[in-house]
Amino acid sequence: MTEIEIGRLLRANTAGFVVGCRVNQLEAPSFGSLVRVPQEDRYEIYGLIHDIHIDDDGLVRQLVTADGVNETIIADNRLNRNVPLEISVLAVGYQSQGRIFHLLPPRPPLSLDVIYLCTQAELSRFVSAGRFGYFRHILRARDIPIGELLAAHLQQAQAAQTAFGAPGWADAATQELIILLRDDYPTLMTVLSALGDTAVGGVA
Amino acid sequence: MTIDFQQVQAQVQELGKSASEKQAEKSRKLEQARELLQAYAQEAETLRQKVQSVNDPSLRCALPTDPEIAQPEALNANHPLPELPKAATLLAADGSQINLDRHAEVEYSLVNVGAIKMRLGEVSPPTTYLQCQLFYEEQLDHQTDAILALSRDLKERAMLVELAADATPPVITLTDGPVELWGMPGVSPEETSAYQKSLDEYLEVLHGLYRLGVITAGYVDKPAANLVVRLLEIAGAKPTDLANLRNYRPLRGVGDRHLFRDILQPGERSAIFELQSSASRHYLDHLRLHFFYLNVGREDRPWLARIEAPAWVALDAIKLDMLHAVLIDQCRILGARPYPYLLHRAHETARVSLEERDQVTNMIVLELRRQGISIEGSSNKQFAKDQPGRTRL
Repeated sequence: MTEIEIGRLLRANTAGFVVGCRVNQLEAPSFGSLVRVPQEDRYEIYGLIHDIHIDDDGLVRQLVTADGVNETIIADNRLNRNVPLEISVLAVGYQSQGRIFHLLPPRPPLSLDVIYLCTQAELSRFVSAGRFGYFRHILRARDIPIGELLAAHLQQAQAAQTAFGAPGWADAATQELIILLRDDYPTLMTVLSALGDTAVGGVA
Repeated sequence: MTIDFQQVQAQVQELGKSASEKQAEKSRKLEQARELLQAYAQEAETLRQKVQSVNDPSLRCALPTDPEIAQPEALNANHPLPELPKAATLLAADGSQINLDRHAEVEYSLVNVGAIKMRLGEVSPPTTYLQCQLFYEEQLDHQTDAILALSRDLKERAMLVELAADATPPVITLTDGPVELWGMPGVSPEETSAYQKSLDEYLEVLHGLYRLGVITAGYVDKPAANLVVRLLEIAGAKPTDLANLRNYRPLRGVGDRHLFRDILQPGERSAIFELQSSASRHYLDHLRLHFFYLNVGREDRPWLARIEAPAWVALDAIKLDMLHAVLIDQCRILGARPYPYLLHRAHETARVSLEERDQVTNMIVLELRRQGISIEGSSNKQFAKDQPGRTRL
């Protein structure tokens, strides 16, 4: 199995963490992807990418004032310069002794830990464990686009589940979201609207 | 105590009062300088002889080019932007240093030189290079900040020769600041000796670049020099003024960049001048230093740079055109604040931050402790300064 390393940990707390990566590592991860941070003793932390942040710096600000930026300069800035590129991850569970829990991790990962993108098999295994317990971490999160994140995640998870023989997973996930958000109509509408755009879980 | 702003305010007001008067005087002198430039534009040979007749080795000014080597250009000429070469290797180097601090925990100094190589006409990203040298123990004997700066300058140029030797021609190398090695010979015997040694090595480096056929130049941003203005002062001087040239400064306050900013359109360069200075005697034949002014700015926003280059570049029309075109292209990359992109990147590569300095210090302290050597620690003065709380310069 090919492991796709997407970066190393910059900072973390129990609820989430931030990963720093090079621009040429950015091709693999995408918004809504499930990632994992292996720790010692078969302990592994899972999270969902909810933000990819590219900072500017003085030189980049100056370059955009030029009439045109040629390919060499773009390549130099992307590959050689220490342009800050941060991926924010929401913690959604962990694995301990081979068992997956949809709970916040007992302790956060440490600085410079390597973060890997989960494969379809790992994604399928994570979402199949338990009864969508990790949804509450997403729904509780503040200042993140919950509807968009759920839509992106469900789309990726549905593809993985279909590949691993569970095509009805998205319907069940959507039903669960409706139940969880039954007392929060505005959020439910936002989530369903986003899901509608992905055409998964029977919402269209 | 911090700054007493009441006191400063009074002085700032004084400064403001005299500013408009000084500005008017400067405009008047600038007009005089323009008239002199116009009047002597075609008198290159006469002016060259007049400057050479002044028996003052410390005289620092522009000199019209030697007519025996190349036809001098009109002093007020403006040369349009040539075509950018289709392919060339561009190299830039810059250096940074950690000066010896006698108050620090451990005594050391460090020179960090960064270089960057880019192929014009190719999309591949530039390649960066770093060379770092630590000085310690007896290497620090008699080392002053000036000697370390000389060492840094020398390493920048030496790195360029090294990289140029393996690069695909034509090769253009850039450094920040003048090509003339800047030193302070005579401040102390150690500095004089270090300057002489560095100068000898530096001249060898320049010879190396010459042998490789490299187009080399130094880029001086926002130049404060008045080399051409000084030439114009001499042009207008009477024999009695020439006898007392040091005090004859009728155009004092006018800089070359003020003179050329209205003459040169964006992308244009001035005429080539030779540099007359106390160090000229070291730079002979093909190493003779020349310079020109270049408007790297935009329409309605001129920005002048002074470009220094040795004779083998400045007096070769093809090399000069390539340098001219490449510099404008490089400056335009940085948009509204033009400066050669590669020089900025070389600086960025070489720059040593305060955090990095602290890390190097810690590395040395840890290594010495590992070897069982006791560390004397920082001076009490430094310790007191490092205390948290008030921060000041």
